[in-house]
Amino acid sequence: MENVVEFKNVMKNFKGFSVNNMDLQVKQGFVTGFIGANGAGKSTTIKLMMNLLRPDAGEIKLFGLDYKTHEKAIKERIGFVYDGNVFFEGLNLKDIKRIVGPAYKRWDDALFYRYVEQFNLPLNKAIRTFSKGMQMKASLAIALSHHAELIIMDEPTAGLDPIFRRELLDLLQELMLDGSRTIFFSTHITTDLDRIADYIAFIKNGELVFNQSIHEVAENYALVKGGTDLLDRDTEQVFLHIRRTPTGFEALTDNRSNVKSLFGNHVLMEQASLEDIMYHLKGDVQHV
Amino acid sequence: MFNLIIRDIILQKKQLMIFIPYILFFILMGSPPILTFLVACIFIPFNAYAYDEKAETNILLNSLPYTRTEIIASRYLGAILYMAVSIGITSLALLVFNKMFTWTDIAIAVGLFLLFASLTFPLFQILKPGYISTVVLMGFILTSLGFLRMSRHLPEYAAAISEFMDTFSDPVLYTGAAVVVMAVYAVSWGVTTIIYQRKAF
Amino acid sequence: MQIIISNSSKEPIYEQITNQIKASILAGELQEGTALPSIRQLAKDLHISVITTKRAYEELEKAGFIYSIVGKGSFVAEQNLEVMREKKLKVIEEQLNAVITNSREIGLSLEDLQQLMKFLYEE
Repeated sequence: MENVVEFKNVMKNFKGFSVNNMDLQVKQGFVTGFIGANGAGKSTTIKLMMNLLRPDAGEIKLFGLDYKTHEKAIKERIGFVYDGNVFFEGLNLKDIKRIVGPAYKRWDDALFYRYVEQFNLPLNKAIRTFSKGMQMKASLAIALSHHAELIIMDEPTAGLDPIFRRELLDLLQELMLDGSRTIFFSTHITTDLDRIADYIAFIKNGELVFNQSIHEVAENYALVKGGTDLLDRDTEQVFLHIRRTPTGFEALTDNRSNVKSLFGNHVLMEQASLEDIMYHLKGDVQHV
Repeated sequence: MFNLIIRDIILQKKQLMIFIPYILFFILMGSPPILTFLVACIFIPFNAYAYDEKAETNILLNSLPYTRTEIIASRYLGAILYMAVSIGITSLALLVFNKMFTWTDIAIAVGLFLLFASLTFPLFQILKPGYISTVVLMGFILTSLGFLRMSRHLPEYAAAISEFMDTFSDPVLYTGAAVVVMAVYAVSWGVTTIIYQRKAF
Repeated sequence: MQIIISNSSKEPIYEQITNQIKASILAGELQEGTALPSIRQLAKDLHISVITTKRAYEELEKAGFIYSIVGKGSFVAEQNLEVMREKKLKVIEEQLNAVITNSREIGLSLEDLQQLMKFLYEE
């Protein structure tokens, strides 16, 4: 089983927003970073993945299993971290552990206390009194204490200071030493992904633009700069988006070799960062 | 699933401390035993709903390895379990204060509680979060008032009612009432499960 | 095994890894049969993604520098140093040809070229 998560033609309609024909695969043993602007459908996708939302059409499978028949077996194997705190605010960590722990067959108390110690979390203080970073650490400690095979996180680094963000990435890399483990996390801080992501899934207006390995992204996408005199109706076709200025143009392409054969050395081609890609694709794609 | 029922106790540790004074208040006020039993039964399950109205709670429960059917089942089974415990404690308290009560009081309180739960549980799933606590409180006050009014006006209807009831023998009456209450509870359970299945979080 | 990664280099990270491991093998620092760190361990140590180290090892394997045994890891392969030397010599020959062509274009004499070469070599 190579894909831990498999979406086939998934549709979900809301008033004024919809997820359309989504085909998404998350590969086992790797970190997939899920990027997109705010409101692009990242949280909706994660909720579909967690069965908090049910698709209007299409098929969602986790570990090759269907939620209709294997809901418990699937969730047993998932560790989740959400954007906001979902734990009872008035309770302390010890009580939350008492509620959450027995839900899992493979809950590991010793492991939980090890994370609590590692993250310096107080056991007897109400979650309400925790800072954003501490709440995140608490969610993480709970998510990691039942030997989950798939860790799903919605914006885990949002609102965290740079030091803890780095610590979190270290921890995730440590988790990845176990080759059967898979991490899927959404973020709009693309620099988090430069370090640990193996695959990047990019969503825009409820549609998956691509889901490629970081190597494929680097090989396909490029930022092209050159004089505006090079642009005409035909040459523009190789670009996804063009930004013109009096001093020249900057454009995004997903086909390096086409640009090379078309313009040769007349343009400058650079590696496009994830941020460049997100920026240039923020509006509707002009061509192609 | 038992964990889901136990969850209410962990969540309500603090509220449970006022459970005893709360019962004692009703006893010392000289409320009819039926009312005392009823308010005692309502305490835990309805407090639990104050937590469950939060979207976060539902996201948490539904992300854990529980099915939606189990989450609702824990509500309905938990209500019966906590009702039994509450009745035990209340009976004890009544005995301590030397107040008289009968099995009939308990039976009627149980019946009323189950009917009240049957009506409100599905309602909670339909109402928007934030309104549930209000509805619980209003529902509770209205029920209590209604019950008190009814008991005050009872003599007027007593004749008619007793005449109607006399047409049945006692065992038939009680068994019939029990069957009706259980049927309503079961239907309510089913309806709530269906509503909950379709919810999006 | 020492590997130093530059995040600002134009050279892709996986290439930096393959080049440095190749160099260590050719220099004899990594002996035949030496176990390399697992791809996951190396990724963690270098603070890079697993797929990057995986690609680096794949390239090394393709080029015959290392071999992998499922469940055991990756090891330095036996290197036929004679063949390596031949290959390198061929590359050097090609590069020198290009140098000679360029020298002729600007009329640089063999003596001057040799002198320049001597100077650069000893530097």
